[in-house]
Amino acid sequence: MKSYLAIAVPELAPRARILAALCAMLPRVGVADDGAFVCDLRGTERLLGAPLRVARNAISVCGASGGQSLSGGLGTTPFVARVAASRTPAGKVSEIPAGAERAFLDVLPLDVLPLDPKVIEELALLGVRRIGELLALPRGSVADRFGQSAAIACALATGELVEDVRGVAPRRRIRAKRIWDEPVDSRERLIFALRAAADELAEALRHDGLAALRLRLVLEREELLPLRLERSLLPPSAESAAIVRSLRWGLEEIPTLGLVTSAALEITAVEPARGRQIGLFAPDGAHAEEAISVAQFLRTRLGPAVVLQPRIVDADARLPERAAEWEEVVR
Amino acid sequence: MGSARANTALAEAIASVEGRFGTHVLAHGAIAERQAAERRIQLGGSLDAQTPGLGSGAPLAFVGGGSAGKVALAHRAAAGAQRDGGTVLWIDPSATFDPLAALRAGVDLTRVFVVRAKTRDDVLLAAGAALRSDGFRLAVVDTGPQLSPSRISIDDLAPLLPIVRSSPAGLLVISDTRAQRLAIPTFSFARVGWAARFGRTTGWTALVAERALFHFAALGADPRDLGTRGALIEKDLTA
Repeated sequence: MKSYLAIAVPELAPRARILAALCAMLPRVGVADDGAFVCDLRGTERLLGAPLRVARNAISVCGASGGQSLSGGLGTTPFVARVAASRTPAGKVSEIPAGAERAFLDVLPLDVLPLDPKVIEELALLGVRRIGELLALPRGSVADRFGQSAAIACALATGELVEDVRGVAPRRRIRAKRIWDEPVDSRERLIFALRAAADELAEALRHDGLAALRLRLVLEREELLPLRLERSLLPPSAESAAIVRSLRWGLEEIPTLGLVTSAALEITAVEPARGRQIGLFAPDGAHAEEAISVAQFLRTRLGPAVVLQPRIVDADARLPERAAEWEEVVR
Repeated sequence: MGSARANTALAEAIASVEGRFGTHVLAHGAIAERQAAERRIQLGGSLDAQTPGLGSGAPLAFVGGGSAGKVALAHRAAAGAQRDGGTVLWIDPSATFDPLAALRAGVDLTRVFVVRAKTRDDVLLAAGAALRSDGFRLAVVDTGPQLSPSRISIDDLAPLLPIVRSSPAGLLVISDTRAQRLAIPTFSFARVGWAARFGRTTGWTALVAERALFHFAALGADPRDLGTRGALIEKDLTA
């Protein structure tokens, strides 16, 4: 049974779009070391059909996503499938039947295997130029002479070692864009307009169980260069208010905004959203993190030893100044 | 179609009003009233009976000469703001915040951030950040004694007023002098009597907002609410 499909992708192909198209179609898609996409088709035959049909569909879907000159290979291991794909003309799929892997690989040169070029040169001096010739050598001697990487290469070629296909989710862009016919001329109006975009992003983040760590705002302006604003959210948050607040602080540092005609807001880094432990009888306890983030902001702007918290060390001290100590809220 | 156009027009109108007066300046009436009632900060019995007190989105100034009890009542307001878990930002340019007095007034020091902002711009930055965040129930700006070197006038705080109106926090300003160019609800503090023992001052009585009388002890104990002036006059008349 041909369980793996590999798709060889030329360097200039739109990789992100091809990956997204494959992920939408197949359950597990990984990226191999050589940049090819490898799809694990085990257990999908009843649902998706014969692997050859799936492979042809995948090539045509990738072609529709802008991936021209793609070729596919089907094999019983990811390695065989990759090698088959790399040696297939563009737009075609080649299939290596089960049991025919050695016949297919044996005649291929050694540079197909993940071997150091120096090892390949050394093997060539010994008269070993094809995979079949390498596999004919005693395995222990190959490992002793050429090291672990040669042993791994042999195991890949014989199918004793099957590479794991680790599913890679395509990077989802969480972004929102607003274009205004009439330019926005004040900071407050801009922030108000960005609130709707922030709500949209917050909804997308909540849907995926994520919290924004970094965000980017790009403002297109009349008669001025576009303005790029990068912000970090600490603690990471999926709340629209936190996004707007961070943007507000960033925008307040810019003296002249000009006439803004469009805004593109994008979450550039996320992390899984974490729950927060809050006091049962402290409704405002949920905002303690907000207070800390304000303290952090003020420390950045005003410097150290400005945002402080008192602590009583001796309530009965004879001198009032010795009764308390001051500590920084955020170090 | 018509409804969509009406919604767009309404959104544009809201954007225009908020652009002019600040974000969150518009809120549904019922929601705004309920939130205001829920988030009222208690100042002290007599003052709360006479005035709506200090609420979220409301500025208030305590104004009076030195040793009139402004800071003592501000501590009480801070404790009131912390009652349901809130945090207080105390902006203290003159570095006169007394942690012991605050503790005695019931302030939880773990939920007070003291900002020693030195210039007017730093004070405005710190207060603005607190008022715009959801992290604080109350921002206190103590402009400090009149003779303090880092003197900040209450009039310098004008840019904060549009911000506080749209904030979930309240703003309390402590000042020795009245605002000249700023319209801010003000409780004036005036000493009306001294208490002395063995020739030493042990406390004083102050009339707050021309209505409520408080007795302050010299050693920083919690101020004693004597009641409103009207109630005291009535009590005298009946006696």
